[in-house]
Amino acid sequence: MANIIRAASRRDVLTISALSAVGGLLGAARAQAAPKSMTMMHESSFIPAYDAFFKNTLAPAYEKATGIKIVYEIISVNGSQTRLTTMAETGNGPEMANLFFNWAYLFDEKLVDVTDIAATIGKKAGGWHDAAAEAVVVNGKWKAIPFGNIGQLMNYRMDWFDEVGVKEFPDTWDGLLEAGTRLKKAGHPFGFELGHGFGDNHGWLYPLLWSYGAREVEPDGKTVVIDSAETARAVDFCREFFEKTMFEDVLGWTDVSNNKAFLSEQISCTNNAESILYIAKRDFPDIGKVTGQAQNPKGPTGQRFHMLNPLSHGILTHAPDIQAAKDFLVWLMDPVQAGAWYDVAVSYYGPFLHAFDDAPFWHAEPRNLPYRDSLPTTHLPGWPAPISRAQSESVAKYVVVDMFAKACAGKSTKEVIADAKAQLTQIFKPA
Amino acid sequence: MSTTALPAVYVPVPRRASGFRRWTEREDVFSWLMIIPPVLFLLLLVGYPLVYGVWLSLEDRPVARAGTFVGLANFIADARDPVFWQVVQNTFVYTSAATILKMVGGLGLALVMNQDFKFKNTVRALMLLPFIVPTVLSTIAWMWILDPAFAPVNWFLRNLHIADPGPSWLGNRHLAMMSLIIVNVWRGLPFYGITLLAGLQTISPELYEAATIDGASTWDRFVYVTLPLLKPVIYIVTMFSVIFTFADFQLVYVLTRGGPANATHLFATYAFDLAMGGGQLGLGASVALAMLPPLALIIIAMSLYMKPNKP
Repeated sequence: MANIIRAASRRDVLTISALSAVGGLLGAARAQAAPKSMTMMHESSFIPAYDAFFKNTLAPAYEKATGIKIVYEIISVNGSQTRLTTMAETGNGPEMANLFFNWAYLFDEKLVDVTDIAATIGKKAGGWHDAAAEAVVVNGKWKAIPFGNIGQLMNYRMDWFDEVGVKEFPDTWDGLLEAGTRLKKAGHPFGFELGHGFGDNHGWLYPLLWSYGAREVEPDGKTVVIDSAETARAVDFCREFFEKTMFEDVLGWTDVSNNKAFLSEQISCTNNAESILYIAKRDFPDIGKVTGQAQNPKGPTGQRFHMLNPLSHGILTHAPDIQAAKDFLVWLMDPVQAGAWYDVAVSYYGPFLHAFDDAPFWHAEPRNLPYRDSLPTTHLPGWPAPISRAQSESVAKYVVVDMFAKACAGKSTKEVIADAKAQLTQIFKPA
Repeated sequence: MSTTALPAVYVPVPRRASGFRRWTEREDVFSWLMIIPPVLFLLLLVGYPLVYGVWLSLEDRPVARAGTFVGLANFIADARDPVFWQVVQNTFVYTSAATILKMVGGLGLALVMNQDFKFKNTVRALMLLPFIVPTVLSTIAWMWILDPAFAPVNWFLRNLHIADPGPSWLGNRHLAMMSLIIVNVWRGLPFYGITLLAGLQTISPELYEAATIDGASTWDRFVYVTLPLLKPVIYIVTMFSVIFTFADFQLVYVLTRGGPANATHLFATYAFDLAMGGGQLGLGASVALAMLPPLALIIIAMSLYMKPNKP
């Protein structure tokens, strides 16, 4: 008798748990109709207030307006490309992500076409700068919404330059060489990154190459023309520049090294984003007072160039509700929200929309104006060739950076150009 | 005597265990049952990625796109890539130098730790620290130690007016490789030390006594008693160390990212740059797979020359 009762209880337990499991599944299925939350994958910003503003102000405001929670997933610096690779390959993870450089092209097939909302956003905010399209338009379609350019410009110690008689930042590379020679003798050398970082090396080496009239590949995207007299002149200049103004350690520098060196007063000039001035004003006010920023110098061609490093936001094709993601991006890029977000980062991200060309935050710190003025002369590494995978391979293999670095370390100009040519021929070979 | 009397000794009737239970408790069945979970684990988390990696290396596989089979084209491209050969050279130099230093240093460390002295146990525990601390953290600390502006060595050289600003530990190609080897040895020495120490502890002191009676000096005792008996342990620990050092990633990635000018690029870091930075998954996989033949050769060579023969 006792056995029968016990057996019945066991059966009841099984039945109840089975029913509740089914019920739970049905409930969950119904809940997936409208997204309760979306995730934005974003690389950690050098300006902490920028990330905090999204998490504490923008996301809650959107949740209040639409009921959709926006989660802000932060990836450590230089880690977002790897994270994006896993997201795109597995079809899993955050629906939206930030992109840099030419990633819109690399991840083209896994990014949603956002040409429609790009037009909407552009209309509301005075139109897009030309540079914006260079990075996000793939086969005529916008694959991401550009947010801001992280300019790489010259950061220098105005007081030390003044001491050696250079009142304004030199306009040409030769002028900068002259200033640097004097400064190195005075115990304040230059420190430009020549190692395997991801920004502060490309930020001056590609512009240097371009300002001498040299390039990796022709605009047809196929003909390798690195082996030219212009390249040789650029390489020779770089070697002289290194020998007369810098010291050996820069050959092994990564992106944090020059910030460290500038803020500990080891160097008088480097190429960097606005992070040095920002940190200096916050933590080292005495250095902050005497730090100046200027556009890259002109080369023999009479032209100056800057590297384009556009931060953009894209939507992955695996997003469960693409329209909801698009609506969020339109809201985010509305001049009210976007303006406030640009403001918090104090022009670290140079807007691509004309509505912000004369925004108050540019005048809050006039020393940041060169970052705005550099926009017309910015290009992606690989310019003037059109955006391509081969570009990414060339950057990942540090072809241009190592060409200059090896020359500075002592190799002959002919040899380093031959090496670069061999690498580029291999990389840009017809598929 | 009554015919219904109980037997003198009560023999309980054995209860038959269920058929399934008996079957699983058979030794041959049970051993298989115990092996299957770890084997499945290995197949899924090691075997599958390996096979997938081999497949990737035979494809032209740009990120976020379908791949096209290209046979050995990636490997041929690697063979023509001067950076690849630099990577091969770097990895061999790095692995051999670090392994030799760790072996000699670890053995010395183990011999010292085998002595009896005050705070022996505390010192043994502290000795493990470099190995236990997460690699990325300790490497970031080393980044500051090797910065010419902040390096202690450079500070001494500056204050003694010998050199200013002193050697560039991570900027000069040769010093950079040397610095990496030093950091790797610093990190890996405890692994050797502790394992060899464990091996030393198994050597019976009577053997040393017998050797001393026979007139052996300290050096003789070391060469003729310690080393032969330690050979199995040395073999195993060296094999593990070679495999991990050959495939090292964290150290190089944090300190130099492969610079200056590829002087410290190893297989793992180069493969990562190509796959994740360049968006070329097939090319990256081919570089990573290129590790297998030389590593296999090294392991085979070690087995032939170092593995102790079974008595």
